[in-house]
Amino acid sequence: MDKKKSLDLIKLEVLGCLNDKDKESLEAMKTEGDEFPWKVLGDYQNLIAHLPLALELKYPASDIKDKTATKLYNIRDQIKAKVEAKKALEMPAQPIEEISEPEESIEVSENFEENVTSEQIEVEEKVFAEVEEGIHLNADESTPSNDEPVKFVSNFKEKSEPENLPRQISEIETKEPLKTVVDKDIIEKVTRDYIKSHMEREIESLSKSVKKNKLLSFILFAISIILIVALYFIK
Amino acid sequence: MADSNSLTDAEIMLKVAGYDSKALEQLYDRYAPILYTLIKKIITDKDTAEEILSEVFVVVWRQIDQFDFKSNNVYSWLITLARNKAIDVLNRNGGKIMPEYNDDYERENIVPKLSSEIEALELADVLNNREKLENALGSLTDAQKYVLELSYYGGMDQEEIAAKLNIPTVTVKSKLQVAFGNLMRKVSEAK
Repeated sequence: MDKKKSLDLIKLEVLGCLNDKDKESLEAMKTEGDEFPWKVLGDYQNLIAHLPLALELKYPASDIKDKTATKLYNIRDQIKAKVEAKKALEMPAQPIEEISEPEESIEVSENFEENVTSEQIEVEEKVFAEVEEGIHLNADESTPSNDEPVKFVSNFKEKSEPENLPRQISEIETKEPLKTVVDKDIIEKVTRDYIKSHMEREIESLSKSVKKNKLLSFILFAISIILIVALYFIK
Repeated sequence: MADSNSLTDAEIMLKVAGYDSKALEQLYDRYAPILYTLIKKIITDKDTAEEILSEVFVVVWRQIDQFDFKSNNVYSWLITLARNKAIDVLNRNGGKIMPEYNDDYERENIVPKLSSEIEALELADVLNNREKLENALGSLTDAQKYVLELSYYGGMDQEEIAAKLNIPTVTVKSKLQVAFGNLMRKVSEAK
């Protein structure tokens, strides 16, 4: 390796003014072998970073801190949006028939409950815990009112702290196969719950009206009997 | 609990890597003036410079996993990041044809790629070197200082400097290399 050439190129690279040809040469030198002067590159990178010291210090406006906090809050939104988009993509992958046949679903879910193993319950609980976490984040995410002054410290805590959100995403990603296994069960459970909550009322009102009708028929029958008996005695 | 001021830059960065917002605030308090000074030198408009400063910390938060905790050079990483960001905005605002700004672009062009063998630097240490640097810069010729400025603060490449000064590209190249080499020698001598 031409040491002088590599030193010359390092200087230009650190200054950010390499042309494409020189950039290629330098990259080739870096990947060539162990001879590349990495230490020298580091020294020049440190030297160039010293240059702003020679400038007269200037201070940004104090509200930039708050603006930064707001931006960080928006990043969390982006990350959450990505998570939700992923979830939305996963949902249509489920077979539609399972959702469109509620009667069958009831049967399946009843059997399912009997056959469910403790392991499956554990997995289901895990997934529901994740869902609940998501709901919690949603609740925390209300947009701040314009009147409310955005404080950097507190807002960083409240708004921007994603609590290792990227890690959560990766955790969710790694749990994906697990999730698809239980997704079917979740859909069944959701369908069952939906039917239970919506149909129960109707069934209740139907049985009430049946009772009412029965009572009415009985009263009418009793009145008819009374009338017949009365007519018989009058005659 | 340790006083936040007693934490080193590297310790703060470690906390930032754990998405500790208080740590990012500490980093902001410590670095905002020097980063803003650099950005303001590149972008003269106050509002744009402040916007870039804010963006720099967003990039830090978003790309903290790109920071090398082995070399732990917080100072050069942040200065280089701020410089890259400001030059990028300068080029875009100046009408230069640039690739779309997205996550990949940011990782490739804005987040610094420091040498794995770089010495660790912290702001507190660097501030002690101020006088040495000013003396070293003072020893350069006006022409050398000017080409360095055009390159570092103006974000110009060799061809652009050559066109601006109406001199051959080869001359620009050699002037930059000599100027930078002299600066390194002077700073090293002063140590």
